[in-house]
Amino acid sequence: MDFSSIAFANSLILGLSIASIFFVAALGLTIIYGTAGVINMAHGEFIMLGAYTVYALQTFVGIPYFLCIPAAFVVVGAIGFAIEKSLIRYLYDRPLDTLLATWGVSLVLIQGTRLTFGSDPKYVEIPSFLSTNVEAGALSLGAFRIFIILMALGLAAAVWYIFYKTDFGIKIRAVTQNREMAASFGINAGQVYSFTFALGAGLAGVAGALFGALNIVLPTMGAGYVVEAFLTVVTGGGALMGSAIASFAIGELQSIFALITNSTFAQFLIFVVIVIFLRFRPQGLISASGKRR
Amino acid sequence: MNQNLYHNKTLQWVFYAAAFAVIGAVPLISDDAFLLNQLAVYGVYGMLAVSISLCWGSGGILNMGQGIAFGLGAYCMAMTMQMQTQAEGTIPPFMLNNGLDALPWIWQPFKDTTTGIILALVVPTSFYLIFGGIMFTARVSGPFFAIMTLATLSALATIFVDLQPYTNGVNGISPPGSLNLGELEIDPYSSGAYWFVFAMLVACTVGAKLINQSRFGLVVRALKDDPERVRFLGYNVAVYETLVYTLSGLIAAIAGCCFAVLTQYVSPAQFEVGFSISIVIWAALGGRNSLIWAMFGAFTVQGAQSYVGDQFLSTWILILGFSFILVVRFLPGGFAGLVEMILGRFSKPQEEKAPSGLAFDNAKEVAK
Amino acid sequence: MIGGFLKIEGIEKSFGGNKVINGFSLNVFEHTLQCLVGPNGAGKTTTIDLISGRQKPDAGKVYLNGDDITGKGEHEIARKGIGRKFQIPAVLKGLTVRENLEVAYSREVNALRNMFSMRAKGCKEKLEEISGKVRLTKRLDVEAGLLSHGETQWLEIGMVLMQDPAILLLDEPVAGMTENEIGLTVDILNTLKRSHTIILVEHDMGFVRKIADVVTVLHMGALLAQGSIEEIEKDESVRAVYLGTEDAD
Repeated sequence: MDFSSIAFANSLILGLSIASIFFVAALGLTIIYGTAGVINMAHGEFIMLGAYTVYALQTFVGIPYFLCIPAAFVVVGAIGFAIEKSLIRYLYDRPLDTLLATWGVSLVLIQGTRLTFGSDPKYVEIPSFLSTNVEAGALSLGAFRIFIILMALGLAAAVWYIFYKTDFGIKIRAVTQNREMAASFGINAGQVYSFTFALGAGLAGVAGALFGALNIVLPTMGAGYVVEAFLTVVTGGGALMGSAIASFAIGELQSIFALITNSTFAQFLIFVVIVIFLRFRPQGLISASGKRR
Repeated sequence: MNQNLYHNKTLQWVFYAAAFAVIGAVPLISDDAFLLNQLAVYGVYGMLAVSISLCWGSGGILNMGQGIAFGLGAYCMAMTMQMQTQAEGTIPPFMLNNGLDALPWIWQPFKDTTTGIILALVVPTSFYLIFGGIMFTARVSGPFFAIMTLATLSALATIFVDLQPYTNGVNGISPPGSLNLGELEIDPYSSGAYWFVFAMLVACTVGAKLINQSRFGLVVRALKDDPERVRFLGYNVAVYETLVYTLSGLIAAIAGCCFAVLTQYVSPAQFEVGFSISIVIWAALGGRNSLIWAMFGAFTVQGAQSYVGDQFLSTWILILGFSFILVVRFLPGGFAGLVEMILGRFSKPQEEKAPSGLAFDNAKEVAK
Repeated sequence: MIGGFLKIEGIEKSFGGNKVINGFSLNVFEHTLQCLVGPNGAGKTTTIDLISGRQKPDAGKVYLNGDDITGKGEHEIARKGIGRKFQIPAVLKGLTVRENLEVAYSREVNALRNMFSMRAKGCKEKLEEISGKVRLTKRLDVEAGLLSHGETQWLEIGMVLMQDPAILLLDEPVAGMTENEIGLTVDILNTLKRSHTIILVEHDMGFVRKIADVVTVLHMGALLAQGSIEEIEKDESVRAVYLGTEDAD
């Protein structure tokens, strides 16, 4: 245990990094859940596909890392679009079945990836300048982690812009509020849902592009992000701001707890805190839509 | 009138009797010890599928964390079995390796076999009672509840791995001896063990079926349909939901105990998310609304999986995933739903749907 | 007993800044049929929600037979003797008609006791009686989701009759019914009010005329007028606010 202010400050900085990872991981899920109320159990696998996309493009086509990131967005977004059109759209009125069907999709994606790429770990290369540590006095953080923080802010801004400053964003918000009424104004709700799902998937792909470089790339890497992403979204309530605040809170708390105990127990404590919070406020921090029965 | 044989209660019980007679007769046909042990483990999976059918099929409660009760029951039983092999005053070797020199207080109750077995049932059931009680009185939605069971399961897995000195972490607990009940030793590779598990399977399945057929079961099926309506009839819906969830947990705990007895090895793998959701898949494929077909679902999937072997495991899981998607999308009743449809073809057609008022008015005319 | 069998005292309810019920009081006496009428948005269904526990009033009190039931849970209020029929018929679609009626026979609600009982005492006889009354004897084994709209209305009425509460809250029970069906409902209600207390929300004034002992007019969440149907129809303030209520159904 080290309560010196330097250790504490470092843990706050690390907490910011953890928060940014939670946020980026949860972003795609927030959009899909906030709009269509869909709980996508294959979200972790979309992240995984993003990582494999980067790996494949880098290794077999030689595309530089920074270009792989938007490529991951497009590829995984397209996959998401296909899945929405062939499966999800038939299950919107059956939320439990959506949960189960997307779990089936996750199994298919994991095994499909395993059969295509094998089970051995793959590695994503990042430009060398991102592999160093950035120091500011006694505080330090990996450069790549700083990059992720910047990406989190950038993505948040981009999504905010899409939702509040574009035509498409207006349509999404209209359909979220009241699907029938939006349809009566000529908005093709089905198309909106498809593209929103694709957007959410694409963002998960970007998350994977980042995380694949942070850790090793495995067919099962998505599993580690799903539960935490869900907890972030549910705690936040389904709104963009909610997920941002929730990931910040969870990230910082986890980092601080880890100072006191080990990181595994810290995760457990976070979970307990979240359950207690949700017991008293099941709609989350900022309720996008009340989900009471 | 609906004469679908599928719904004929007598026929259902006959079917149960026949199926269990066949399952129970296996040790009379084969004396391959390893096969009996393997089949008995399938019996454990069958129990788990039955438990999911009870809370999901009957109550509409999707529980993706049945591993909680299963794992807790298994660990308690393993701890009991471990303590049976410990001479008075000694502690399990893994604890010595982790720097402990005395038996931790949480292990103390397991020194006594009877207490250990009672705890193996009480601990998971109490957990479900409290967890379910909190969730259902808060009236959280179905998907929310499902996610919370998942998150709780993950947290439990984490904590069991983390508390290495008490649980031996990822290595798990492997009691070096079989379970002894008084004079009786339950050798996992004997027909005795097989029939022990078989008896539990029959008891749990028949018990669950009787519950489904009781007034309690009727209210549970009603609240699956429309919980608000049921509240306005005077029933405390949260209590019914908590109880059906807890009962399913009890069955899973019994399954966990049997598992520990049969395999003599319990680890955090029992808390794996994939395993808990597999149970749901077995029940979905077999038929979530039918206890016995859910059980068959478990047998079939797990049996096929062992047969397929490691080489083709990935392909097998791929097929499983696809089948699961197809069932959820097109055949929510699973294989049992298919049976129901086919049997329905052979029964008398139902009366034509009457348009509003007309048939009623005609009836009144005729009655005059 | 001071006050009515069901007594509502100054209840208020707002939804997101919008005051829907504004100091409403009502006395309902035993074995009467009271009709709650008023233009759309007057707060009729919300009043029913507040009595039955679906919503909790922001202020005011509700008493049943002297018991304070304000803010209690739906099932508790139902146990105390209030049964409800919804505007959009709420039946258990996945269950058969018979099962719907059986569940509605909620004399025993204790979960543990229900686990050990296969059928409820007196349920069979009551079911025969009620299914006859609502003309569903031939449809008992049909899945409720397959019933026509009229039949669904009847089923829900049947369920409330099986529940047999002291007070029935009926929200537009004859919506979508034919003349014949409405006639039968009138007969059932007129017989029922001799032994039960009924509060009925309705738009169809012709129907109201045939059954109401007292008519209460609600407007903007408060009481506008109360009295017999003749008195209400002559009331100037009612005419001003609530024109053209004689819907040809």
